[in-house]
Amino acid sequence: MDSRHDIELSVNGDTHRISVQARRLLSDALREDCGLTGTHVGCEHGVCGACTVLIDGRPARACLTYAMQMEGHEITTIEGLGGTDGYSPLQQAMQDEHGLQCGFCTPGILVTFEAYLRDNPDPTEDEIRDVLSGNLCRCTGYENIVAAVKKAAAGMRGEPE
Amino acid sequence: MTVDSEDFTEIGKPLPRREDRRLLTGQGRFVDDIAIPGALHAVFVRSPHGHARIREIDTVEALELDGVVGVFTGKDLNAWTNPLRLAPPIEGLLPTKMTTLPEGKVRFHGDPVACVLAVDPYTAEDAAERVAVTYDTLEAVTDAAAALAPDAPRVDDDLESNLVSRQSFSAGAPAARRREAHAVVEAEFHQHRQTHAPMETRGCVAVWDEGRKHLTMHIGTQIPHPLRGQLAGRLGLSESQVTVVSPDIGGGFGQKIALYREELVIAALTRHLKRSVRWREDRLENLMAASHARENTCRTRASVDRSGRILGLEFEITEDFGAYCFYPANYMSRVVAMILTGPYRIRDYAYEVKVALTNKCGSGPMRAPMAITSWVMDGTIDAIARQLGLDPVEVRRVNMLSPADFPHTMPTGEVLEDISPAETFEAAVKAVDVSAIRRRQGATCDDGRLIGLGFCTVVESTTYGSHFYKSAGIAGSGHEAAWVRIEPSGAVNASVGLMGSGQGYETPLAQAVAEGLGVGTDDVRVHMGHTDIAPYGMGSRGSRGATAGGGTLYLCARKAQERVLTIAAAVLGLNSADTASLRLRDRRVQRRIDDAWQDTELTLRDVARTAYLDPTALPEGVPPGLDVAMTYDPPPMTYSNATHACIVAIETATGRVVIERYLVAEDCGTVLNPVVVRGQQQGAIAMGLSGALFEEVVYDASGQNMSATFADYLLATACELPNFEILHMNTPSRQTPAGIKGMAEGGVMGAIGAVTNAVNDALAPLGVVANRQPLSPQYIRGLIRSAENTKNPRRHGS
Repeated sequence: MDSRHDIELSVNGDTHRISVQARRLLSDALREDCGLTGTHVGCEHGVCGACTVLIDGRPARACLTYAMQMEGHEITTIEGLGGTDGYSPLQQAMQDEHGLQCGFCTPGILVTFEAYLRDNPDPTEDEIRDVLSGNLCRCTGYENIVAAVKKAAAGMRGEPE
Repeated sequence: MTVDSEDFTEIGKPLPRREDRRLLTGQGRFVDDIAIPGALHAVFVRSPHGHARIREIDTVEALELDGVVGVFTGKDLNAWTNPLRLAPPIEGLLPTKMTTLPEGKVRFHGDPVACVLAVDPYTAEDAAERVAVTYDTLEAVTDAAAALAPDAPRVDDDLESNLVSRQSFSAGAPAARRREAHAVVEAEFHQHRQTHAPMETRGCVAVWDEGRKHLTMHIGTQIPHPLRGQLAGRLGLSESQVTVVSPDIGGGFGQKIALYREELVIAALTRHLKRSVRWREDRLENLMAASHARENTCRTRASVDRSGRILGLEFEITEDFGAYCFYPANYMSRVVAMILTGPYRIRDYAYEVKVALTNKCGSGPMRAPMAITSWVMDGTIDAIARQLGLDPVEVRRVNMLSPADFPHTMPTGEVLEDISPAETFEAAVKAVDVSAIRRRQGATCDDGRLIGLGFCTVVESTTYGSHFYKSAGIAGSGHEAAWVRIEPSGAVNASVGLMGSGQGYETPLAQAVAEGLGVGTDDVRVHMGHTDIAPYGMGSRGSRGATAGGGTLYLCARKAQERVLTIAAAVLGLNSADTASLRLRDRRVQRRIDDAWQDTELTLRDVARTAYLDPTALPEGVPPGLDVAMTYDPPPMTYSNATHACIVAIETATGRVVIERYLVAEDCGTVLNPVVVRGQQQGAIAMGLSGALFEEVVYDASGQNMSATFADYLLATACELPNFEILHMNTPSRQTPAGIKGMAEGGVMGAIGAVTNAVNDALAPLGVVANRQPLSPQYIRGLIRSAENTKNPRRHGS
């Protein structure tokens, strides 16, 4: 349990050389060892979705993943979204549609839908709600998040608002 | 003071929120994001029993582990801290005392008994598992009825019984009305135990500066200054030795008001060890041991005439308060009793409020502490309609206060004015097309679904000024404090004693300052959550942010504008009485000439420069600088109102309740920022529906908490909640600055009433009534089955 392992984590294109116990969670490694505190931990049992990150482009729970498992994989966190000039279309739509309040669950929702919209550019409201059901939000009632995803999808398809 | 809201240029703008950029890009700063080098990590050892005596706590094995710094128990902590005594002068309320950690016995599953400190959280968790606590278990009481039975085991050994609070009241002659009545209608309402479940759990980081003898507490709190006072008092420090810093908060909903024992332990240990200490509770602890809410049972007895008019109303509420009193035990239920009659014309009224201690987590206010009020009142109206065979819409109309009735004094003495319940109700009735739904219900329905329509009209108590606390016999104040400072460059800083927990205060409060001062919202920055920066205010609770916080800032900014104009008049060579012909607008000093406002050559920056850097040019009696502070005590209460309408379809085979349509007609007076207000309406309705349909804290008979994960304590997801149609109405308060009222809790009240009334409308043909929540498929299916068995016993008898 005590022995430590030197690993390399590739996060948002940067390489972090860190030393971790085998049991160290990816969420803790990202937040504490890499200093990327945008990934939030809401339940530590895989239900709430706040800690969702992309592993090789696919959404996964950082609280249910060990840091050591991530060698050789590419991780994307909230800090890796958006361009150097600011928001991604989804981030902009979330602001426009008031899709967040306390913002604690927001990073998990953003990374989930950044990946989803890439593969599903024209989702229906039911499909959006089905995917969003993997992320708990206690503040918004979800309506504005759904509207933001719709708006971002339309914008990314090049449709006028 | 009356203000014509038509003239506002900043208040009412749908501006996007300032918090969003940092929160959308991963740059938010929550407690757990604050790096403090060398901080120790705390983990609590908690009781596995609902009720037990602590015989021994063996820490030897835990202390042997590398990296463990110490294990501390009640014996240590209670020597370093003062207990919490709650003994406000409230008739019928027993005084209580709580130590920082229990020494003699534990009172609920999750009660903290020891705190382990280690160099990292993993080691601290390992060590906590090695702390061996020996208990002698005791019989637990796990509901209010058991707690109030004669010879029930006592939860608090210091009290004579578990009945910790009891009040009664009567106005008019409700018993006489019962004798005269055409009918007496009785109804019951069982609200289940729930918990706030903010997405960010509790946590704190305490830093002790031994050189200055000063404690800095980083903690997400809704009430920074009162919390500072609590911390100082419990630690035996002066308020000048404690700074509370509240960073971004991942939701509060009332859970982040009290000073909890865990937080006090962390503060005491950091001072004792002279090392920084941090604590982040996990979700299991949050669901089991943070704070619970809402569990109460209500009974009404309405004496009515043939038309369903209520001649008299009697009300009983019994609350299960859990094991510890972090608040006076009458706090929530008595407000329900005080405002129950709400939008209806009832003169003869009596109530009895009982609060019982049980072996469960302590209860506290949760978004709409008075949540059950509107369900009970409108549910009683529906019970009257059912029993008398009347149209529920007509029974509401017969009893509803009309515009001519205001101001209306409720039987408890609370005064309602500037509200519009009849208008919101009629708007909701019109919007849902009641007759179309009745036709659908009347048509032969062979798709296995029952359709129901429910209404719930809400009169929402908001703001809670000092006079309300006084008249309710609650120690406390409802005032708020603000400062507005125009810096030498003309930049505007402002501060208030509130602390948001996700609502988005930074934008609407800047709008209030901008409106009062005469600048653009972008020119203003509002600082909150730091007790050395913000003025002493009462913080965020009871939907007071807009009226108390926004109102104080608005008044303070107007005072600052007066100061600016006094200086401007002197610089312009006008008589000081001529400020009435001056105004500040968009950072420019304007003068009224021939009924038209014209720019002068002065800007806010010019005036600020004079105030700070050329004070000899100031008129006599005007102090240097542009720093204005004030406090304001709002009216005893401001009331907002709304009518919720909900259409449900119940799947008879499964008991599942599907919300087909949800709408609310809402009147919350002047709106500072419609974007934020709409978000609050949506969020409150969502919390109400989630609680009424899914959430439930479950204890077994021995006091084991059976619902301490998100797989057991079910929050509504995006698949279960509908979109909400919101009809805006606007009756500004004539008693508050800018006509502001509170909001953000009424949505919960209306939602739990509207959805339950809709379910009962759907079930009415079966002759069964849902009088408890959650409206789970199992419960609804059980009601349908009982109706089928009654109707057709042989077919379903086995």
